[in-house]
Amino acid sequence: MNEELDSQLSAMFDDELPPAECELLARRLSRDEYLKARWGRYAIVGAVIRAERGVRLNAPLAGRVNAVLLAEPALAAPTAPRDRRQARVRWWQPLAGAAVAAGVATVSILWLRTQAPLNGAPLAARVPAHTSVPVGATSGQGDSYVVPRPKAAAVVVPSTELANYVVAHSVFSNPVARRNLLSAFMTSEAPAAGAEEPQSDVKAVAK
Amino acid sequence: MSRPLRSSGRFASLALAWAVAGAAAAEEPPQKRPLEFTATEWLERMDQALTTRNYDGTFSHWQGGRVEMLRIIHRVQDGTVSERLASLDGSGREFIRTGASLACYLPDRRTVLVEQRPAEESLVSFPTVNDQTATFYDIREVGHMRLNRRDTHVIAVSPKDEYRYGYRLWVDESTAMPLKSQLVDAHGQVIEQIVFASLTLSSRIPDTAFRPEISTEGFRWLHNDAAPHPQPGAAAPAWSVTSLPPGFRMTVRSAQVLPGSAGAVDHLVFTDGFASVSVFVERQPAPSGQPPVPESATVGSSSAFSTVVDGHKITAVGEVPPATVRFIAGQLKAQGAAPAGR
Repeated sequence: MNEELDSQLSAMFDDELPPAECELLARRLSRDEYLKARWGRYAIVGAVIRAERGVRLNAPLAGRVNAVLLAEPALAAPTAPRDRRQARVRWWQPLAGAAVAAGVATVSILWLRTQAPLNGAPLAARVPAHTSVPVGATSGQGDSYVVPRPKAAAVVVPSTELANYVVAHSVFSNPVARRNLLSAFMTSEAPAAGAEEPQSDVKAVAK
Repeated sequence: MSRPLRSSGRFASLALAWAVAGAAAAEEPPQKRPLEFTATEWLERMDQALTTRNYDGTFSHWQGGRVEMLRIIHRVQDGTVSERLASLDGSGREFIRTGASLACYLPDRRTVLVEQRPAEESLVSFPTVNDQTATFYDIREVGHMRLNRRDTHVIAVSPKDEYRYGYRLWVDESTAMPLKSQLVDAHGQVIEQIVFASLTLSSRIPDTAFRPEISTEGFRWLHNDAAPHPQPGAAAPAWSVTSLPPGFRMTVRSAQVLPGSAGAVDHLVFTDGFASVSVFVERQPAPSGQPPVPESATVGSSSAFSTVVDGHKITAVGEVPPATVRFIAGQLKAQGAAPAGR
């Protein structure tokens, strides 16, 4: 990953990238898993810096982030607008690598821009949900990182029976809850290849 | 599961699209100035926006350490609601509602579930907050902030006990669409989050937008044979509950045939105004000799609990904590019988 891309990402996150560059970078983001993960890390670290409720890093990582922030004069002192992009590159570069990513459980991409509507555009390309690169692996693009996979037991594969129940129930949920429920259902993990459909998708509860 | 990749180059364009096409559909001037709306009014405006506007958006869905992208398309045209929700990541599943028809495409199971619902039944709106609801939730505006260059009002709906979850909603000031939403537990911890990456409000969305992207060749199609027949307040119910969590009440009772199901399933819906729980009761096949074991499941942050009572399988599903579905399922009883217990 070169510094120019880092700088562009940083500017894009702060809404300071010119629209033309922004679109080009967005296109690259859509197909570059490595870049996408870095973008997600911006989102997480940004959320931590803004102290958003509910966004937490594990304690050692949070300590390292704080140490970096405290040690980085570019954050401590106001900077002239001309220097801001460069300053951002400086402060977040130490965060790159396994130390940050190992404690971050999510990768998110979120941005909004103004553009004319697309009429009847087909669905966007699917992108892999999880990116995982071993610590120390060389991708040929610079820093390596790890985005932990989800805990295996967190999601239960819905059976046809539960799918029926979920769909039937969704009609009676409020719009936000319904979207949550159906989204979770849409993204619940598929069974392993060759696995038989379980008789029931429910897990036995320890009595 | 494999699914053809069709439009990778368009993702960026789509993701960059925040558009308001059709002034009448998008930016209706409010009766009040935005800062004059109460938190409850913001919820009502959001409800109206979600259920009456045409929109096409992509969003990230975070839950349990996973984040995936989905696309939602919603249209109301001539009184008919059409909606499509598709996973853009792993499963390729799609949910498509067109009027009375609900179809769930499960490519990982090579199955399509198709359910016909009564034509007059519309998707439930976010309920109007009343005094009773306010007894169990604290509803207030907790901030007014910029979210990705949009002015938003942050509305918190906080549960007052552990029977229900709460929400934090970032409601767009101009359109009343929730650009970000968090489901939180009674302690304020985020357990699920949705953030829009792109959102387009359009005056017109073509029918082609509601066709599944996947090929269904060779898929198993499961239909329900008959439309359900809601019977709100019907007399002589076969099943009832002995008690409910505070604030919950039964609002719907129906007997319906689910796709692939041999017989009718009783469907009872309980709600406290925000949260809802469905209870499904169906006859259980002949017992195997083993005592039935209660089972639980999660779908995202929603919970399910299943048990067997008097030869019937009772399954409670809802966007509530596991203890709540377990409690409600345990209170169900056939007429004249004791409750199932907890």
